[in-house]
Amino acid sequence: MRDQRDVMSKHHGKVAFIVKILLWFYAACTMFVLVYMTYQSLRPRRDVLSKTFGVPETLNLDNYIELFTEEHFLRYFGNSVLILVLSLVLLIALSSMTAYGIARYRFKGKSFCRAFFLLGMMFPAQLGVVPIFQIMKNLGLVNNQLSVVLVSAANISMPVFMLTNFFEGLPQEIYEAAVIDGAGEFTAFRKVMFPMATPVIFAVCITNSVTIWNQFFLPLIFLQTDSVKTIPQLISKYTSNIINSMDMATASSALSTIPILILFFIFSNKILDGVTAGAVKG
Amino acid sequence: MKKRKKRPYLWFMLPGFIFYAIFVVYPIISAGQLSLYHWNGIGEKVFVGIQNYVDLFSDEQLMGEMFNALKNSLTIFALTVLIQIPVQLIMAYIIFSKSKGSNVLQVAIFSPQFISTPVIVFIFTLLFDGNVGVVNKVMEMIGLGEYTRSWLGIPELGIYIIWAMITWAGIGVGMMYFISAMKMMGADCLESAYLEGAGFWKRLWYIILPQVKMTIVNIILIGYIFSMTVFDYSYIMGGGASGGTNGSIDVMALFFYRMAFGDNNPLGGKISTNSVGMGTTVACVLFAMIFVVALIQILITGRRRKDNA
Repeated sequence: MRDQRDVMSKHHGKVAFIVKILLWFYAACTMFVLVYMTYQSLRPRRDVLSKTFGVPETLNLDNYIELFTEEHFLRYFGNSVLILVLSLVLLIALSSMTAYGIARYRFKGKSFCRAFFLLGMMFPAQLGVVPIFQIMKNLGLVNNQLSVVLVSAANISMPVFMLTNFFEGLPQEIYEAAVIDGAGEFTAFRKVMFPMATPVIFAVCITNSVTIWNQFFLPLIFLQTDSVKTIPQLISKYTSNIINSMDMATASSALSTIPILILFFIFSNKILDGVTAGAVKG
Repeated sequence: MKKRKKRPYLWFMLPGFIFYAIFVVYPIISAGQLSLYHWNGIGEKVFVGIQNYVDLFSDEQLMGEMFNALKNSLTIFALTVLIQIPVQLIMAYIIFSKSKGSNVLQVAIFSPQFISTPVIVFIFTLLFDGNVGVVNKVMEMIGLGEYTRSWLGIPELGIYIIWAMITWAGIGVGMMYFISAMKMMGADCLESAYLEGAGFWKRLWYIILPQVKMTIVNIILIGYIFSMTVFDYSYIMGGGASGGTNGSIDVMALFFYRMAFGDNNPLGGKISTNSVGMGTTVACVLFAMIFVVALIQILITGRRRKDNA
């Protein structure tokens, strides 16, 4: 690695230097924007709107307090968490079992199964949403968080692809050892094989939790009453009318963004490895 | 051990299969079937054959809306291929070459990926708004005060602003894909290129680029599917499904939503008596457009794999 570094970083030239400066400027702008948004969230609405760039007279947490006490932020947060956790658990259970079934055993139609579960990558769920809406209506799940959970958890194409590749790479002996120890097929999977897949599962969790947490389309369709709505829906309510709710817009945006980004900064190496795990030889 | 179950793989695949079949596969088939009916989901369901497709491609109003949306979606796609991918590649190359602080750079560039769309749009408002926007303020400070305007309100810029938001939010993902493709390359071939006197950019062109060719093809396909299905940005920025002034920020997925669920803008909504029929018709047209391109891509990759073998 050290050799590569030496080779790569020598003789970059003038253009490379300028490109690097531009990249640093771009990265700095990105960070500035986040800090700026957080700063504005500490100011009262009329200050942000009329004295946007003036000297800050009041900086306090009033906006956040209002967000929690009067605007029911915790309820939206709870809905988002509920959807995220249930979707992830279900998604991991479904996709790891399916992938294990495809990868572990030899049977006719194996390659067909692989291709079949890959199809979903080409067909984003939102285009099938009209029939899905009919299904949810029949199940009585419109305005119920479960509708979003079910559709999110059924989006297993990519996880199945990644996990199938992983399970196929595991040596046969591990499985045989587990079965000789007296474990049944499912116990062998649950106690031996599944835990070995932890890195891949982690990667699946990272990519999917971002998508599920931030998703806008499915909640827009299925969650129409305030009591079941998610955080992105709450934020878009504020941001669509900044004259009246600039304070709530900045506070809810900062609150939903900054903690996640801090987590990302801390665990960035692991998370970025997870993000690219699915792309290898894609 | 006795075999208790004859086909354990079936039991493992069953739950996933059921979910996948109901919520991914069935809706595609059902959409194809529903597109042959005149129906709004509640009232009477009348079989009309391919009439919906005929309407979509002959009604001037509908066709105009669709082609405008398609033009905007393809604009996003074209900008992605022509600008975003080269920039991602250069970013990846700079970070891969491990200059000082490239780790920080990578984290900063990637971080907007974690921000939800309403916040992205709001951040752009904070920057480009006519009254409270930072950009106008900066322009005033450097003496360009006469050029300040309400940037987000200019219809001609609409779709480019949408693209800028998408790019700012998502540029890190493709960049990471490029970096991981570059990491799979042996250090020795870079080294020998360096020893033979290939400069920084020559190495990018002759050594890195061939290595990441397949990654580029994959990112182009992902970008295509994305631009055909991107929805949130236009919906949030337009404050509903109307697609902005004269459809300036309309995109295919928004057009689909408008057909299927009506235009619930603040000025009052309208939903047709054929919402399900026409909605699924548009969905099927979109399915077909994605499927054809994906098929071409699979053929290209398939042939390349054979060539390499």
